[in-house]
Amino acid sequence: MDRRSGKLKAFGSYHPTVLMIYFLSILLIAAFLSNPVLQTEALLGGILFCATLQRRGDGLRDLGFYLPLFLMVAVTNPIFSHNGVTPLFFLNGNPVTLEAVFYGIALAVTVIGVLLWCKCYSRIMTEDKFLYLFGRAAPKLSLTLSMALRFIPVFLRQSRRVSRAQKAMGLYAGKSIPDRVKNRLRVMTAMISWSLEHAMETSASMKARGYGNKGRTNFSLFRFRASDGALLAVLLLLLAVSAVGAAVGVTAFSYYPKVSVIPLSPDALTVYAAFGILSLLPSIIEGKEAVVWRFYRSRI
Amino acid sequence: MKKNILAVCGIALILAILINGTQVQSVSEYYLTHIDDLTPESERVTISIRCDAIFPHYDELDPALRSEEFLPPDGVILPPTEYRLREGDTVFDILNRAVRQNHIQMEFQGAEESPFGSVYIKGIHYLYEFSCGPLSGWVYRVDGAFPHYGCSRYTLRDGQVIEWLYTCDLGQDAGAKWIGGREN
Amino acid sequence: MALLQVEDLSFRYPNGAQNALDHIDLQVERGEFMVLCGPSGCGKTTLLRLLKQELAPAGERSGQIFYEGAPQSRLHNAGAIGFVQQNPESQIVTDKVWHELAFGLENMGVPTEVIRRRVGEMASFFGIQGWFRQKTDTLSGGQKQLLNLAAVMVMQPNLLILDEPTVQLDPIAAADFISTLQKLNRELGLTILLAEHRLEEVLPIADRVLLMKNGSVQLCETPRKIGAALKANDPMLFALPCAVRLWRELGAADDCPLTVREGRDFLVRHDPKPAAAPPEAPYRHEEEATISLSNVWFRYEKELPDILRGSSLTVFRKEVFCILGGNGAGKTTLLHVIAGLDKAYRGKIKIGGKPLENYKGSALYRQNLAFLPQDPQTVFVKDTVRADLSEILEVMELPRFEREEKIKRIAEKLGITRLLDRHPYDLSGGEQQSCALAKVLLSEPKILLLDEPTKGLDAGAKRSLQKLLRELKTDGITVLLVTHDLEFAAETADRCGLFFDGEILSADPPQKFFAENSFYTTAANRIARGLWKNAVTCEQVLACCKASEML
Repeated sequence: MDRRSGKLKAFGSYHPTVLMIYFLSILLIAAFLSNPVLQTEALLGGILFCATLQRRGDGLRDLGFYLPLFLMVAVTNPIFSHNGVTPLFFLNGNPVTLEAVFYGIALAVTVIGVLLWCKCYSRIMTEDKFLYLFGRAAPKLSLTLSMALRFIPVFLRQSRRVSRAQKAMGLYAGKSIPDRVKNRLRVMTAMISWSLEHAMETSASMKARGYGNKGRTNFSLFRFRASDGALLAVLLLLLAVSAVGAAVGVTAFSYYPKVSVIPLSPDALTVYAAFGILSLLPSIIEGKEAVVWRFYRSRI
Repeated sequence: MKKNILAVCGIALILAILINGTQVQSVSEYYLTHIDDLTPESERVTISIRCDAIFPHYDELDPALRSEEFLPPDGVILPPTEYRLREGDTVFDILNRAVRQNHIQMEFQGAEESPFGSVYIKGIHYLYEFSCGPLSGWVYRVDGAFPHYGCSRYTLRDGQVIEWLYTCDLGQDAGAKWIGGREN
Repeated sequence: MALLQVEDLSFRYPNGAQNALDHIDLQVERGEFMVLCGPSGCGKTTLLRLLKQELAPAGERSGQIFYEGAPQSRLHNAGAIGFVQQNPESQIVTDKVWHELAFGLENMGVPTEVIRRRVGEMASFFGIQGWFRQKTDTLSGGQKQLLNLAAVMVMQPNLLILDEPTVQLDPIAAADFISTLQKLNRELGLTILLAEHRLEEVLPIADRVLLMKNGSVQLCETPRKIGAALKANDPMLFALPCAVRLWRELGAADDCPLTVREGRDFLVRHDPKPAAAPPEAPYRHEEEATISLSNVWFRYEKELPDILRGSSLTVFRKEVFCILGGNGAGKTTLLHVIAGLDKAYRGKIKIGGKPLENYKGSALYRQNLAFLPQDPQTVFVKDTVRADLSEILEVMELPRFEREEKIKRIAEKLGITRLLDRHPYDLSGGEQQSCALAKVLLSEPKILLLDEPTKGLDAGAKRSLQKLLRELKTDGITVLLVTHDLEFAAETADRCGLFFDGEILSADPPQKFFAENSFYTTAANRIARGLWKNAVTCEQVLACCKASEML
């Protein structure tokens, strides 16, 4: 099996609903909370998860993108934001402050954390998972989408064939613009007839298999297993602790006008721990899988 | 793709810096402002900065600012102070001179970036627009009236009285009559 | 009680001049494997579609159809009768294999857990598990048709109707498909009604053969009796397997042989004389080489493997050259490269003695080279065949009054005069093929490239194509064609070449070519090869038998 898809197995094999809730909560918390501990946790979780999803070479190449981006965001903020009690120097009569520099760094951590999580999202939430979630909300639409995804490649292939056949007959095969436009138009009209023909045969095949009956169900390969339930419960618990903690203000932190002290009350520590586990959850699951595999392999 | 994003961001950043200019001053240079001495025959104006309008809206204030360090107990950031009026001085010039002399933090948006074609005061003494509710910000009054244009376009005359006031509801708590728009 | 009973069924299309079906009576027993054959346009498709009420065409009809003793209209379960159409591509509805399998059951409102089990069961039975999660677009033609069959079978039908399901498939995929049908019939007792023109593979496994002609039942017999039941000079004779034809022509009294093995036993019983072997026909060719390739290399993209790996080929004027070879070997690509549609990255190609790259613009395609792609539909872009034909003459700058005359002449030559005012898409596969050929011939080519010209043709259409190619040859045209059809190549070609691993391995006259192969050869040759190695067509074997009788 391909190394990459093999690695996807552990976390990506959970039920799409669970995965979607997970990604939404991580992204929301990471994007809107401004507590350096939580921001760093989100970034670390993102880095680790990304690392398990791709080969080492890709990771190095990514560094070439994220590092300059980090610097750029970190530098940009103090140039445009002048709040803060500790001016370092003045730029065109506006202060460049230490607080703004800190905030820039924190912003960069958030931005890159969110980008990494989005990358993991696109790797894990593949088209079929998305369609499945979508299909539960709007079954008709999802069948239409599935049919469109089927039709598009067939249509493109056929239109390429038609235009090649026309070219090989020497019809409007010239390079001049009127010739090309004319050729396009001819191929398009032929493709309209072809599409109608194709659609008629497809609809015959649908009718022959009872399409149009009342009470159509929606089948999918995904099933909600006990392990999905367990993961969902853990996930919701961690999410609740983090969200409630953040909402009540135990982890309140501000950069302006003065960088405040990082809250270290027992409540705040609980929130840190909860969110830390939440953001490391995929990496933990992948890591466990890898260890189990190595164990099994060593016994063979 | 990624390289393009980086390049575009980088170019935008460099352009922004170039447009803003790059006059760099150290902290001591900035605050080392020459203040003209007042003489009996010189023209003069009075300026004060107050934020007492916050007190009725204290629960809306950004929690990070809820300390005496940032919110003086009497709401006075600068008591009425007289400055010598130079030829062509605007409200902004006087404010700039006053905050520099008194080491008061101030952030503004230059006239060329602001949509009003005038300097826009974003924050004084760490109190920023929107720091105390969505309708909050800085407004100014000259001789008790609210001018309808920006502070760097208001040229002062001898003996005028400038008041910078922090408002929590678009200036109505300070007695202004206009509706909508953010002016100072 | 018969599973399906048709009583005096007649049908006429809304603006048809005559009945498409005329007083049909038919009984299909439970567990029977019935093959429906007949020349194209004889009403096979109309009959099959009427049997599946969801697909019944609109028109005037009389007579009765009973399913399990009850009138057809009382059947409300769409899954009870499965229907597979010709075109594998257009029957697939969704983008994923698993979804396609589940589609019918979803329509029936079957709960997810049941669907999961039935789909799993079907995928295992059909050997689909390897590509269960793939996109339907990535499948081969054979896999697609197998998927269509499985997607129908998952609904657990009692009767399976198939309308020429192997027409678009290559011979290996077609044989696989037919053996799957046999398995369904033998192991599950499924009743099958199959319209098919590949009788060589189907006759040995069928219980009964229904032969249709002009909308009525010509005969309905067991396969062994079909040979005797046909009248002399019935065009369907040419569609029969070689063994049946030998048996019939030799007028034998014993059981009719159906397979190659039975055919060989029959031949041995018939006292053959090795001395009757046909003489080796001498190979002559013109001096002028019209197509010449030397050491041609091609690949689609830099990272992809080579499709052509140093192919070399010389085709002489007035020659019919057949390129044979397995599926996906790159035969079509070879034609594309010769037709200038794809560019070789190494090697020399000369058309009419002139390097291919020296032809500028459309010069290559004017009075020089014509290419007929595999799917004749891609040739048409207008609403009528006539408009399509006249378009090519317009491009050739022929004056208007000459165009009509030319169209008339080519239409007569190809026998398509009655089709001129029809929409190209409404024609049958064979008719489309003829009209497409007319269109490319109007550019007055000296070289004709044909890609799988026999695909979807019935025996009669194949014979007309063969006759036409011979005529074109006497007109001085060089024909290079790619085909899977060994019988057609043996009967038509001056030389045959085997395309394998990116090059043309051997190029010999058909007698020598097939005599030296032992697996990849015609059925006639396989029957006779122990006796007469050189006999490769059914006619040749027959001639040998007759010569034996003389000796």
